[in-house]
Amino acid sequence: MRPTPAALRRTARAHFTDPTKRRGLLVAFEGPDGSGKTTQRKLFKTWLKSEGYDVVTTKWNSSDLIKPIIKSRKTVRALSPEEFSLLHGADFRHRVEQVILPALWEGKLVIADRFLFTGLARDVARGLDLDWVLKLYGPLLWPDLVFYFSVSPVTSGKRVTATRMPSFYEAGQDVTQVDDPVESYQRFIARVIREYDSLALIFNMITVDAEQTIGEQHRLIRRLFLEGRERPWSDWNADAVAEWLGNAGNGTRR
Amino acid sequence: MTKKKTRKPKAALITVDGVDAAAVLAEARSALGSGARGGISRWDASGVFQELAVADEAAGRPSARTLLLLYAADLAFRLRWQIRPALAEGRTVVAAPYVDTAVAFGRAAGIERAWLVNLFRFAPRARKRRFVHASSAHAAAVKDGFVGFSGDRITAGAVKGGRRRIVADTAAQLRRLDRGN
Repeated sequence: MRPTPAALRRTARAHFTDPTKRRGLLVAFEGPDGSGKTTQRKLFKTWLKSEGYDVVTTKWNSSDLIKPIIKSRKTVRALSPEEFSLLHGADFRHRVEQVILPALWEGKLVIADRFLFTGLARDVARGLDLDWVLKLYGPLLWPDLVFYFSVSPVTSGKRVTATRMPSFYEAGQDVTQVDDPVESYQRFIARVIREYDSLALIFNMITVDAEQTIGEQHRLIRRLFLEGRERPWSDWNADAVAEWLGNAGNGTRR
Repeated sequence: MTKKKTRKPKAALITVDGVDAAAVLAEARSALGSGARGGISRWDASGVFQELAVADEAAGRPSARTLLLLYAADLAFRLRWQIRPALAEGRTVVAAPYVDTAVAFGRAAGIERAWLVNLFRFAPRARKRRFVHASSAHAAAVKDGFVGFSGDRITAGAVKGGRRRIVADTAAQLRRLDRGN
């Protein structure tokens, strides 16, 4: 007989609150392009390994199943804001089921280089409704810690364009209708950062001043992680884990 | 001089939903009628599922929720390139399948109604909704279309019995939706 959702939620709670085991932790790094979060993520991962953590990294738009579908459509610039949002939502959901939850279940520490807040900030900056987009990501899986790398639109623009030209969707050219990618990026990233700043307040993210030196940021992240890692498991995650457990009977887990 | 009044053609969105892709298409042709100015918008016009069909098995199977997000992405494509332009020209469009097939599939897979309602909030309401029903025995043999395709690929922990079970349960959900129509 199939276990009921309530039974699956009980199993999830029992597993993640078992005091005899090191529970899995999910740490998300969020922020606009050029905020330096990937540099910090790599430093953080190296440090965590030296501390004995088993670390798994997952990046935005990296599902083996969905990424090729998105890539081919981005290449021909064929995505509307809704399609862009829904396909990234599918990519995220697949990674939650295939990468993030299996690792958390095994007690690993998952670092997400961008999480669902990236989808929310970009989609809302593209004119979509926050409530609609947020619900697409349900059942929600909340990270234990979210570091938000705060940077000004000017700094983001300078850092991104110093080495390369922003891509069509990265520059938001699908919604700004501006031909010059650099100019479009400046306009679009200002909108994205405005949304990020709101989300950081709403969802209680830990804001890191990404205009500080790399060393200063890294030391801050270490300290805040050590303070935050003992937080209790969030029961809000019970639905997401229960659904995954229900699916896991056949093929969900690689 | 008197101007001859020209009657603006009436745009209409008609939807046909069901688990059997061939029967849905036949019903869509009948709904469109011969000589009608319009067309049929079919599942996977965007090719998302074609690409999924050739994906490496090692990429991991999609869950019902992931498949529904992809279905919605495909429907957004169909609305943008097929359905809305035709309606804007005053034509009749038969969307076969449309939202009801996906909602029925999601309910059969145990997904909550509120999530499904939100997912398809962007899709306009149809003037007429038609359903093509299949008996349990017939539904079990269905392999084509969104439901048959998904039944073969879905992570089946939530739908023990695999494709036959999910197709039959979707058919039952569609009968419920039709009764509430």
